[in-house]
Amino acid sequence: MTRWKRFLLFLAVMGPGIITANIDNDASGITTYSVAGARFGYGLLWTLIPTTVALVVIQEMVARMGVVTGKGLSDLIRENYGVRAAFYMMIGLLIANFGNTVANFAGWAASMEILGFSKYIMVPVGALSIWFLVIKGSYRFVEKILLVACLIYFGYVISGLMAKPDWHVVFKNTVVPQMHWDSEYIMLSIGIIGTTITPWMQFYLQSSIAEKGIKKEDYHASRLDVIIGCFITDIISFFVIVTCGALLFPNGIRVNEASEAALALGPLAGDYAHMIFALCLANASILGAIIVPLATAYYICEAMGWEAGINKSFREAPQFMWIYTLTIILASLVVLIPGAPLVFLMVLSAVINGLLLPFVLIYATLLVNNNKLMGKFVNPKSYNYISWGTVVTVAVLTVFFVVTTIFPLA
Amino acid sequence: MPLFGELFLSEVIKKPVFDPKGEIVGRVRDIVVVKGDPLPKISAIIFEKKRQIYRISWEELNIFNKRIISTYLLSGSINSYELGEDDLLAVRDILDKQIVDANGAKVVRVNDIKLEGYEGDAVFVAVDVGMRGILRRLGVEKGGEELMRLFNTSMPYNLISWNYIQHLKPKLKRIELTIPRQMVAELHPADIADIISQVPREEGAHFFKDLDIETAAEALSEMKPEMQAEMINAMDTEKAADIIEEMPPDEAADVLSDLPTEKAKEILEHIEKEEAEDIQELLGHEEDTAGGLMTNEFIAYNPDVTVKEAIDNFRKDAEEIETVYYIYVIDEQEKLIGVISLKELLLAEPSIRLAEIMETKLKTVKPDADEMEVARIISKYNIVALPVVDNDGFLLGAVAVDDIIDRILPSAAKRKGRKL
Repeated sequence: MTRWKRFLLFLAVMGPGIITANIDNDASGITTYSVAGARFGYGLLWTLIPTTVALVVIQEMVARMGVVTGKGLSDLIRENYGVRAAFYMMIGLLIANFGNTVANFAGWAASMEILGFSKYIMVPVGALSIWFLVIKGSYRFVEKILLVACLIYFGYVISGLMAKPDWHVVFKNTVVPQMHWDSEYIMLSIGIIGTTITPWMQFYLQSSIAEKGIKKEDYHASRLDVIIGCFITDIISFFVIVTCGALLFPNGIRVNEASEAALALGPLAGDYAHMIFALCLANASILGAIIVPLATAYYICEAMGWEAGINKSFREAPQFMWIYTLTIILASLVVLIPGAPLVFLMVLSAVINGLLLPFVLIYATLLVNNNKLMGKFVNPKSYNYISWGTVVTVAVLTVFFVVTTIFPLA
Repeated sequence: MPLFGELFLSEVIKKPVFDPKGEIVGRVRDIVVVKGDPLPKISAIIFEKKRQIYRISWEELNIFNKRIISTYLLSGSINSYELGEDDLLAVRDILDKQIVDANGAKVVRVNDIKLEGYEGDAVFVAVDVGMRGILRRLGVEKGGEELMRLFNTSMPYNLISWNYIQHLKPKLKRIELTIPRQMVAELHPADIADIISQVPREEGAHFFKDLDIETAAEALSEMKPEMQAEMINAMDTEKAADIIEEMPPDEAADVLSDLPTEKAKEILEHIEKEEAEDIQELLGHEEDTAGGLMTNEFIAYNPDVTVKEAIDNFRKDAEEIETVYYIYVIDEQEKLIGVISLKELLLAEPSIRLAEIMETKLKTVKPDADEMEVARIISKYNIVALPVVDNDGFLLGAVAVDDIIDRILPSAAKRKGRKL
């Protein structure tokens, strides 16, 4: 194959990995990175390297399954582990993703307020446009919007460069691991893994690859797509941490929200940086709000064998349409009603995500080692040590995260 | 032979199996299915004790119902069994898998299987694809019923009779019904294409392979180009050629143009010469032009032919052609000079010549005309099929309204992707 031909093939297969990677940095991800940067400066940068490795290992397995079986992860779990496993997993995913959607609408509301729009207007407008975009719009149109939205993420790179960090220190902190026996430090480092490797994105990635109908022979191009995507995810996280670490940390400004970070940047770095931060947050939030409810509706219907599809009516695909519609309506209501249990929902969502992840990863690794499904594409023996090692580490850390969320360390 | 009423598969799985002494020999793990007359039936049950697998044939069972399962054999006398890939197992191979509901024309998932007693056998009568099946598997069917009663409704039974099921896995072929079913052939080709687009590639290809040539050709026309290429690529050249030959030449050309050149050539060589030439001719045109959209099967007569003769000839000539809306009138040099709609032809006096009733103010396009131009003319002049002529006025073919609509508004199965 000539180099040119290889490049063309890559372009044709590209998409699922890179889009998944970008949506991975939704409102809760950006919040975690902002908080980490403001609280510990560059102190947590090093966690990005092991996180990227784990992300690549896991996503590669999931992508491989999508290419080889042509099925989504929820289909495979249902077919190989029965209705019980699939059902409880889908219930968990429904609750966790409802929390994710709330977080995304909250991010959207906060960034709109910073940009000077009332959230009581912008949240309903956002929710309605998302609903119409997906229900009435064509797939090609939606895909174009998604790809443009992915470009906006590079605003974070620009703001990171504008912050003029001391690159020597940044580099040293990225490659040299450090440890502080501080409960907040430990929680945040696990939080970074938890927001980067989420249960729903494994389902999303595998389905979108299966959906694209990528052939086994073209798998290497798909793998490249996934690996590039993983790097993009963590490059964006890197620049969010660097921006907050360079500007907020030295001034001792602590933040709890991505939007607070955007606000605090105003007086320190001028209007541009804080506008860019707010815009990027708005973009990340709305992108998450488009994909998460839709993805949830799809997996649940696929696992349960219900009719699904955005070109179907309420009568043809009632479960699909109601899950999708209600998630959006309820999530935007929760954000708008004063005194709604916003924080409780987000913590609940983080806990359920954390509880779900080990199961998803274990099922995925078992499935990818199933000879009947994968044929010669099963994990090579040596690779299995790496994947089980990663899965076990991530699983243990998330369980630890869940326990400490429920019973905070003194 | 055990007495038997009716039950669901999920009601016996994990149930204990007793021997004549009342000892538990193990717990039911799966059921071996074989072809029966007319429905598939149980040939044996597979049970498990302390991680060992055993098998008891149907004849060795004493009682088999949802309350109790027992065998004539003593617990020590049953030999352990090795599960093979050759057995067709209800839980392993059917439950939770996707199948095609040929009645509703959609892909569904098997939540449970309903069994019934019939002449001493336990036969498979239906699959449960509804909410009841899921709740029963979760052990909360009763609870679901009570919950629905609170809302003053009841939970519907969503069962699909085994007669209406079409398998997606090659394995299930072995329990094919003895009465041949026409269900799939009776589905609309667009529904078949839709079903194939919804299941994984290999299963779709397998499903397609089982269609008869005529149905396959029609279904293929309804698929999006990549899918067409995949289906044809997955089959042997001989059968592929038969299917392509069955299609109207314009659609055949569309399919072939998306295949690798080698494969397309190979298929063309297997097609009858005349048909192959028609297709080859169409392959020369760009896909989005009048030449690429037109069919070169049409009916054309001489202006001196009488209406009666034209109708008689038409009965023979039109049989092989997919769609006919007009009779074209050509002179001795085969130049297009007029057109007559079928309605005009049928209403005309039988004795008069075609020249007297034909429309001579013709709307035509050149083969290189853009598809939007073709659509514009068809829409403006309300034409059902637009003739395509070359620079000298020779009639080359016609673009029918359904071909152009497919280009502008692709049908559901042709639209790319169904999710984000």
